[in-house]
Amino acid sequence: MSAPSFAKGVRFRRLPDGQGTLLIPEGVVNLNASAAAIVELIDGERSSAAIAHALSERYGANETEITRDVEKLLKDLAARTLLVLEEADRQRTAATEQR
Amino acid sequence: MSEYRPLSLLAELTYRCNLQCPYCYNPLDLGAYREELDVTTWCRVVGEAAELGVLQLHLSGGEPTLRADDCCTIVKRARERNLYTNLITQGTFLSDDLLDRLLGAGLDHIQISLQAAGAPLADVIAGAHVHERKLDAFERVLRRDVAVTLNCVLHARNIDEVDQIIALAERLGVRRLELANTQLYGWAFRNRAALLPTHAQVERASAVVREARERLAGRMEITHVLADYYEAFPKPCMNGWGQQFMTVTPDGRVLPCPAASAITTLHFDNVRDKSLADIWQHSDAFKAYRGTEWMPQPCRSCDRREIDWGGCRCQAFLLTGNAGVTDPACSLSPDHHLITDVVSGERSLEFVPRRR
Repeated sequence: MSAPSFAKGVRFRRLPDGQGTLLIPEGVVNLNASAAAIVELIDGERSSAAIAHALSERYGANETEITRDVEKLLKDLAARTLLVLEEADRQRTAATEQR
Repeated sequence: MSEYRPLSLLAELTYRCNLQCPYCYNPLDLGAYREELDVTTWCRVVGEAAELGVLQLHLSGGEPTLRADDCCTIVKRARERNLYTNLITQGTFLSDDLLDRLLGAGLDHIQISLQAAGAPLADVIAGAHVHERKLDAFERVLRRDVAVTLNCVLHARNIDEVDQIIALAERLGVRRLELANTQLYGWAFRNRAALLPTHAQVERASAVVREARERLAGRMEITHVLADYYEAFPKPCMNGWGQQFMTVTPDGRVLPCPAASAITTLHFDNVRDKSLADIWQHSDAFKAYRGTEWMPQPCRSCDRREIDWGGCRCQAFLLTGNAGVTDPACSLSPDHHLITDVVSGERSLEFVPRRR
């Protein structure tokens, strides 16, 4: 998976009380603490592996487990069109061309 | 301090509009809103909203871009306060110059409406030859780095072509499509007999939307706002009165719901006289139906009271004259016959165009 980025019109914002949110056209998505820690590292340049690595360093946790969590969350958010995962988009284009 | 914190502010910059859509939710007495807030006051309101914890600012109307310079100034001010900014427009004034200025000011999202899939019907509904100009606006906006939603309000006259509206959205390449059944307030309530679809129309359209959602998953997000006259339970209007949402009208009145000015039994405070925080926390209008304490039966003992929040206060008032009863759209409401009578009643082919 290459570097995830926010879809147009999606912004991360951490509120004064620490709550992490995604601001989207239809409203506000509240993220739980671990999702917010992942999403906060999305900058369009870091790969999902780099995000998982950074988090495992920060929390001293198992990198394989964190990688799985990161990839699952990114996929879920991409399915809701909140994130763009370039590889997924490329595959889709290829699939469309095959039809 | 109130336990409720507003998330979202709808700023209605003007009720003026060059179109005459019969489904408009704006109030009938448009003339009463001509004394519009100036841009300095709007910027003050945006600052107060940010202080209160508001995260999103929606600019609407009427047609907000009739105040183009003010739109840009307000968006810039909102972004300085880290608010998410959304412009809700019918798109007939979206010149390249205005788009440049809006995006330069930091606009996050634009919602543009179409009235139907093709010009003949769309222009009849809008009361002006504007459909082609709107398509042109879409093409120019979609080339830019901003999120775009295509909005189409559905009603008896256009709901049968919902498949064509979806096909148009695909052709244009929009990633977000909002198909919103008409909410029957203001001019739309006046035109109810012409706008209310039949049950069969609503069912057919829902099936089309379900199929399209599956087919377009991951490519296009389709929001479908349901026709509450045909639902078993009412919509959770504003996610509860005075709990997350407020509207400021062109003349500065602060409403818990965009349609609330219809409720003549409430007095709405004005940002010219009081701060937004004071109004949110202390005004009688916001406190009147907040939470669940105000609820009569059947809401009071209903398991869904914190799901539906009693439905819509404005609809309760429009249909019964009492904003404090269960929304008649609820199948459990003792007033539900006010809905079923209309649903099974006579339809009209004629509508009254909204006044400009």
